[in-house]
Amino acid sequence: MAAPNVRSISSFSRNISVVSSPQIPGLKSGPNGTAFISSGIRDLDRILGGGYPLGSLVMVMEDPEAPHHMDLLRTFMSQGLVNNQPLLYASPSKDPKGFLGTLPHPASSKEDKPTAPDPDQGESLRIAWQYRKYLENQKNAIDDYSNDFDMRKPLERQFLSGRPIDCVSLLDSSDLSIAQNHCATFLSKFPRNSSNIASIGRIAIQSFCSPLCEYSEKESDMLSFIRLLKSMLMVSNAVAIVTFPPSLLSPSSSKRLQHMADTLLSIKAIPDGDKELEKLLTGYKDINGFLNIHKVARINTQVPVILEAKTFSMSLKKRRFLALECLNQAPVDGSSGTSYGTSGSCSSKSGALDF
Amino acid sequence: MAESIFRKLRDGGEEGELAPALTIEETVASPFGLDVSGYLLTNLSSSILAGKSKSQGLVLITFSRSPSFYLQLLKQKGIVVSSSSKWFRILDCYTDPLGWIDQPSTSVSEGSSLIKLHKCVSDLRKLFSSAIEAGRELVGDGKTHFCVAIDSVNELLRHSSMPLVSGLLTDLRSHAQISSVFWSLNTDLHQEKVTNALEYISTMKANLEPLCPSSDGQRNALENLFLVHQDFGKGRFHVRFKLRKGRVRVMSEEYHVDQSGIVFSPISSTDTVIAATKSLLPKVHFNLTLSEKERVEKEKVVLPFEHQDDGKSNEIYDGRRSLVDGKIETTPFSSMELQTDVVSSGKGGEIIYFRDSDDEHPDSDEDPDDDLDI
Repeated sequence: MAAPNVRSISSFSRNISVVSSPQIPGLKSGPNGTAFISSGIRDLDRILGGGYPLGSLVMVMEDPEAPHHMDLLRTFMSQGLVNNQPLLYASPSKDPKGFLGTLPHPASSKEDKPTAPDPDQGESLRIAWQYRKYLENQKNAIDDYSNDFDMRKPLERQFLSGRPIDCVSLLDSSDLSIAQNHCATFLSKFPRNSSNIASIGRIAIQSFCSPLCEYSEKESDMLSFIRLLKSMLMVSNAVAIVTFPPSLLSPSSSKRLQHMADTLLSIKAIPDGDKELEKLLTGYKDINGFLNIHKVARINTQVPVILEAKTFSMSLKKRRFLALECLNQAPVDGSSGTSYGTSGSCSSKSGALDF
Repeated sequence: MAESIFRKLRDGGEEGELAPALTIEETVASPFGLDVSGYLLTNLSSSILAGKSKSQGLVLITFSRSPSFYLQLLKQKGIVVSSSSKWFRILDCYTDPLGWIDQPSTSVSEGSSLIKLHKCVSDLRKLFSSAIEAGRELVGDGKTHFCVAIDSVNELLRHSSMPLVSGLLTDLRSHAQISSVFWSLNTDLHQEKVTNALEYISTMKANLEPLCPSSDGQRNALENLFLVHQDFGKGRFHVRFKLRKGRVRVMSEEYHVDQSGIVFSPISSTDTVIAATKSLLPKVHFNLTLSEKERVEKEKVVLPFEHQDDGKSNEIYDGRRSLVDGKIETTPFSSMELQTDVVSSGKGGEIIYFRDSDDEHPDSDEDPDDDLDI
């Protein structure tokens, strides 16, 4: 059985400058005059080309059978708190503050981090001297931009108390007016103007179309809320992440919501005990679910991002660190004839999975 | 698997988590949701009575059948419920759901404290509090648990909107004293997003699939009717469990309904084995494997070697009778025999071999390298 291995996406990557802006921790400048903030998952930042661009709307399509969208929300919120960025959180529960207790803490640098390259190895291998400086640069440059989060350790008090965190329950009103007001007042604190960026805000909305919300049958209200949110985001220095289960909406509303997103991700559950999948994928036992990337935000440019692979497996490394990997196919044994390519996108042999 | 659903409902959930909830989905073609609920009810009742379950009481909210139907059902299975039973309560939303009957009902003869009449089904908060009250009557106020079964959610959805119904079900799930909840639903009566919403708030989903999928009237109507009639009580029972780490366990078995209720059996494995082995081969437009018949034919074809390993040498017809005739005049009979053998056995396939030249000698046992002096 082949051991699971982490593959980097490609050996050629555009040389985006890794210098983070000196005034604001947690902000990285990107191409075309955009700025990125970290999603909280290093692998996802790398896949998206730096992180979530400021002023974009990220939508995550939930799978009703898997709770992984919560992990995306958690890392996003924790990253914001660690970087001291104000946060607005809305969810369809009676007590949204309870969710803050489940946020993960950044992994301390003393512990083993799964992806950090070992600089000592360079010396023992005696690789060409000029490459050593690149290895070191890579390791040091991104420490204050993004963190690896230990999903088992709760976020410490110092990050939660005294921080501007606003929690809204979506069950409070029969329509979205309260949520709308909260978003408007929150975003008015981060206006975008041509001078320096003063501060950055993060909005996280969980399970937007949950059947518990009274407005969940009024699809046009939900669409206009998202449209309003998107237009407010375009003129502020903030990023909003909204998760919603697409099967709870009519197909046309679901398509419209997907279209409104700047970055569109979706989660898919993995069937347990599936013998075929086990033969097909290495590391099947560690994989918790699949993450599909449908759209990547591109601001100030018309050139789209074409990803090499669109489906990634979500797993917990050492049961603590969230990792996204390209799907690695297990080598097929010779008796069945053909050998498959090793790139991440595999053809749909098993009908249930749709890559 | 019905057994595993029953066990999950019986054992309840962990502390601090919402109670496990099951949605049973039936369709018009396989309307046996009631039988499945009945099966679960009887099993849960017997485990409560035997003390093997986490919960010590069962509250049944009936919308589509009268309470006496359920008492009868339990009696048939050997569980007698009397008015002094301390483990079972029925909330009767069947007799008078909208409160049309003003006068107090001259009551049901047996089990009047057992059955509580509930009017005004559209007020779901009241329904929730009556259910909790009924449960508390059974198990007290403390830490003991009880299960809730809702006969069918179809009628609930008729009277109230989806957010209110999901609010009620989630409130039931999050109540500290409720160990598990289950309800049934007919998917043909509701929009897909309603079914999806109910699946969203439940942790297990069971659906009943008829054996022959209903065709759209393209076949002869009589033929259709016969098939449907024959296979009516049978089909597949699929279950999806949501596991904690985010995986989904899918299980299937076959069911069939008869006089005594519903019976589950594991799937007869003929279809599944073939599917498993076939699926790893790539789907291309040509055959990569031989079928059985083709394999047998292949075995039979005689290859044109003059030494066939069976002790006699084989003459191969090489299209030039003239030379051969002269040599084998003495034995035309035997060679003809051999040739007919070759022809007759290889019905499907035959290899025709023509010698390259007259000089070519027939194959012999000699090793051609023997005359090399090394």
